[in-house]
Amino acid sequence: MREAYGELVGRGRVHRRFYTDPAVFEEERKRIFRRVWLWLGHESQLKRPGDFFTTRLAGERIVVARHTDGAIHAFHNRCSHRGAEVCAAAAGNARSFVCPYHAWTYRTDGALASVPLEQGYGAEFRSRMAGLRLEPVARVAAYRGFLFGSHAAEGDDLETYLGPEVRAAFDNLVERAPDGEIELAGGKTVQRYRGNWKLQLENSIDLLHPRILHRSAIDAADRVDHGGEPPSIEWDIVKSNGLTLREWDGMQIAAMSRGHCWMAGFLTRAIDENALQARYQKIMVERHGEKRASEILAFNRHNTIVYPNLFVNSRLAQIRVLQPVSVDCTEQHGYLFRLKGAPDEMFEASVRMVNTNNSPSSIVTSDDHEIFERIQQSLAGGRHEWVDLSRGIHEEDAGSAAAPVGTNELPMRNQHRAWAQYMG
Amino acid sequence: MSLERWHRVQQFLFHEARLLDERRLQEWLALYAEDAEYWVPYAWEQNSPKDHVSLFYETVSLLRMRVDRLERELSPLDSPMARVNHYLSNVMVEEGESEELAARAYLLFIEHRREEQRWFAGRVSWRLRPQGASFLIGAKRVDLLNADQDAGHLRFAVPF
Repeated sequence: MREAYGELVGRGRVHRRFYTDPAVFEEERKRIFRRVWLWLGHESQLKRPGDFFTTRLAGERIVVARHTDGAIHAFHNRCSHRGAEVCAAAAGNARSFVCPYHAWTYRTDGALASVPLEQGYGAEFRSRMAGLRLEPVARVAAYRGFLFGSHAAEGDDLETYLGPEVRAAFDNLVERAPDGEIELAGGKTVQRYRGNWKLQLENSIDLLHPRILHRSAIDAADRVDHGGEPPSIEWDIVKSNGLTLREWDGMQIAAMSRGHCWMAGFLTRAIDENALQARYQKIMVERHGEKRASEILAFNRHNTIVYPNLFVNSRLAQIRVLQPVSVDCTEQHGYLFRLKGAPDEMFEASVRMVNTNNSPSSIVTSDDHEIFERIQQSLAGGRHEWVDLSRGIHEEDAGSAAAPVGTNELPMRNQHRAWAQYMG
Repeated sequence: MSLERWHRVQQFLFHEARLLDERRLQEWLALYAEDAEYWVPYAWEQNSPKDHVSLFYETVSLLRMRVDRLERELSPLDSPMARVNHYLSNVMVEEGESEELAARAYLLFIEHRREEQRWFAGRVSWRLRPQGASFLIGAKRVDLLNADQDAGHLRFAVPF
């Protein structure tokens, strides 16, 4: 019997089971994560035939590889014999994938190439051997080099799923590279917290919290004496959270269909006003002309949040993806891109910014994750039934034509309406 | 190297560990040269902090921002402040061409916070500049055994 979970999302509120019930989490896997397009990686991770990387897609272990014919394949990292993982490395180059248990050997398109002592099987096995393969991911597609996979054989195509507003974020990330090409580089960050994945999803578009929760970090950044030198980018990413509540409330936000949303950029002007940025902007103008270059650079968004688990930051050339582990455990994986044709020091600055903001030593996101854990604990144990998300709902009810701004919780309600549609 | 000098280096390293454990963070910062580099790689045998992310890659100015924050107002992450012990062993010291000394040690780091106790192991190397009877730290690098793996669970505001 299929339970309808839609009622966990009420008007301006959600029920605590939305965050805490393991049965809900299992159904989310099936009804959301196994139906939508999820980010796998970037084509620059697969430059040559045989290049591969491993990742997870809706909790399943996946290998993504470029085959000898140049085509990209994604398949389950699970031998079709006894189920052992066939590829233990995070990335590399391989001619084939050999299961360490009984040496069943697969080509880089996932097809079974050989098994030892083949004569030990009967004619029936040998007749179907040609069709045996590592189970493919149902659909794989790329948008401007960003690779996505879906466990569902049918549904919207990738471009339709993303929609124009999300595609614009990917477009801009690529266009910011003077050569029009980007490369995933610099390793990845992993932050894990013992809380539900939707807490991070909400938090990423929660503009009321930064000035309050991150106050101690902001104030410490404020007190730094730069000794007349231009402030460093690491300082800036901390400092930027320190807009006044009124400024946060004036920030542009947008909610789109399928639960996607975005928020405007909020980094301080200092980050655009140093010698390095001036060099970069000059290169962009040389390549694209004054008008086009300024169009590209004027695209001022912070996160574009792709439901259900992806955050794209075009301006900073970063991507973060949520990997839900269980109802109360979530990993956030962060990646960054090198903009080809831009000064090397820009990539070094991005690396330093990620160290400060998205590594486990971050003095910003660590506080977010601490709060998620406290929410999770209190919701799991308490009698408190509903969580409030009604800020700005009166404007929504009145059918206000004005675009929502700032601290309105509309984008969160929009996420949860998408959730209810999948889960109802 | 004389036994006495080796002993002084070791006592200096133990002193640094003690300042961290007792949260005497201003005194801890004062052990660092103004141009010092503090580095905790995010990959095993990481070659460079410039082309790959790090757990920490900080100038003294950034470390000062961290310490300043902890001393002024505790954020949710740090309240209550974790209790920590640094255990250093296998201390070795090398003299080089320059005046600077290279010291290395194994580190065991145990932290108790709220209901949880956890531990990390790693290898530490320092570059030490003699200053009077003591030293200034010119660089410190901490290679955690699980730098590239389970780091997601670390979450710390105070360095190793």
